[in-house]
Amino acid sequence: MDVSKNSQLEGAVSSGSSCCGGDSCASKPSTKPSLLRRGGWLLIALPLWFGLYRILEPLANGITTHLFRLNPTSRLGSAVAFFLYDSPKVLMLLSLVVLGVTFMQTFITAEHTRDVLARRAGVWGNLVAAIFGIFTPFCSCSAIPLFIGFVRVGVPLGVTFSYLISAPMVNEVALFMLLGMFGWKIAAIYAGTGVAIAFVSGWVLGKLRMEKHLEPWVMEIPFQAQAAQETRMAFSDRLKAGVQGVRDIVGKVWPYLLVGIGVGAFIHGYVPQDLMARFMGKGAWWSVPLAVLVGVPLYSNAAGVIPIVQALIGKGAALGTTLAFMMAVIGLSLPETIILRKVLRPRLIAVFVGIVATGIMFVGYLFNLIL
Amino acid sequence: MLIELFGPGCAKCETLLKHTKHAVEQLGGDHQVVKVSDYMAMAARGILSTPALAVDGQLKFQGKVPSSDEILALLKA
Repeated sequence: MDVSKNSQLEGAVSSGSSCCGGDSCASKPSTKPSLLRRGGWLLIALPLWFGLYRILEPLANGITTHLFRLNPTSRLGSAVAFFLYDSPKVLMLLSLVVLGVTFMQTFITAEHTRDVLARRAGVWGNLVAAIFGIFTPFCSCSAIPLFIGFVRVGVPLGVTFSYLISAPMVNEVALFMLLGMFGWKIAAIYAGTGVAIAFVSGWVLGKLRMEKHLEPWVMEIPFQAQAAQETRMAFSDRLKAGVQGVRDIVGKVWPYLLVGIGVGAFIHGYVPQDLMARFMGKGAWWSVPLAVLVGVPLYSNAAGVIPIVQALIGKGAALGTTLAFMMAVIGLSLPETIILRKVLRPRLIAVFVGIVATGIMFVGYLFNLIL
Repeated sequence: MLIELFGPGCAKCETLLKHTKHAVEQLGGDHQVVKVSDYMAMAARGILSTPALAVDGQLKFQGKVPSSDEILALLKA
C-alpha cells in the first residue's frame, strides 16, 4: 500500500503582500498582561455563575406562570417550565465543566498516557488504561493513529482496548454533568462501572490473543514514535485553552443540546408516568438489552444525552436501564466502529462490540437489582 | 517551508487549516501547505492525536488547535 499518498489539497500558499495592514500592528504584545487578564476575571465570573445558577428554577417557573400564563402542573406548562429551566442550566453547567476539564487536560497528553501504559504489564496495565481513559481528551477521529501508536510502541492489545473503551464511554463532560445534576452517587456509579467495563473487556480481549485479527499493515508500516511533548505552560495559558475549549465545544453542541432538552421536556410533560415505568422499569427484564440495542446506533454528544436521561429517570425509568442506554449511546458508536474497521478485522470488531455491549447490559441489570 | 497538516477532516482540522493558511499569509514568502488525511501516513509519523502540524518534517504539536498568531510565532521560530 502506498503510504506516502497524501492528499495535496492546498498546494502552494504564497503571499507577497505586507503582513501589517493596519490596526493589528498597533497592539504591542510585550507588556505584561494585567491580573484580570491572567485569570483574575474568574474571581468575578464564578460567584456570578453560582448566583445565576441558583435563581434559574424560580425564574423559569415565574416566566411560565406569569409571562406565558400556563399552569405549571398542566402538561404543556410542565414541559415549558422544564425547557426554560433546563436549557440555561445545562448550558451553564456545560460551560463550567468544559472550562475545568479542558484546563485539566492541558496537563495530560496522549503521548504521556502511551508512555505510562507501555511500562505497565498485565492486569495493572488494563486498570491504569481504564482510569486514564476518563480524563484524556478523545475524539473518534484520533482513534486510528492512537491505536497504532499505542500498539507499535509495545502497549499490549488488551491494554490498548481498555483505554479505547474507557475514553469515549467514561466521558469526562458527562461525568461532571451527572455530578451537577444528580449528585455524586450517580456520577460515581457511572465512572466506576465504566472503568470496570473497560478494565474487564480489555483484559478479556487481551486473553483471547486476538493479535492476528489486526489488519496486517498496522504492524508492517514503517513507524517512528514521537517523544512526549513538553506540557509546561503558564496558568493563564491553560486557562486560555479552557476558554477556547468552551467556545469550541459549547459553540458546536448547543443546537443538539436544545434538541436533547426538547425531547426531555416532551417526555417530562407528555409521557405518562406508568408508561416509562412499564417499558423501562425494573420489572421489564427485556428493557436492558433493548436500551442497549436502541442506544448503539444512536450517536449523540455526551452532553445531549443527559437531559433525556434526566427526564427518563423522572418518569420512573429504572436507573440501571437508563445508565445502560446512556453508555450504549456514548460508548459504542457506529461511526467509531466503522473507523476502527480500518485497523481491525471483522472478527475482532465483533468481539469488541460484543464484549462491551455485554458489559453494559451487565451493569444495567446489576443496578436495577441493587438500587 | 513545508507545512504539513495531519487530520482526517473533522471540524477541528478544518479550523487548523484556516488558522495555518492565515498565519502563512501573514508570514509572507513561498511556503507549501499540505494536508495529510491518510491514517497510515499519520500513524507512520507517530501521531497519536489529531489535528497535528509539522514544519519541514518536524512535528510541532498535536491534538490541539492553536490560534493563527500562535502558529505564526511557531513558524517564525
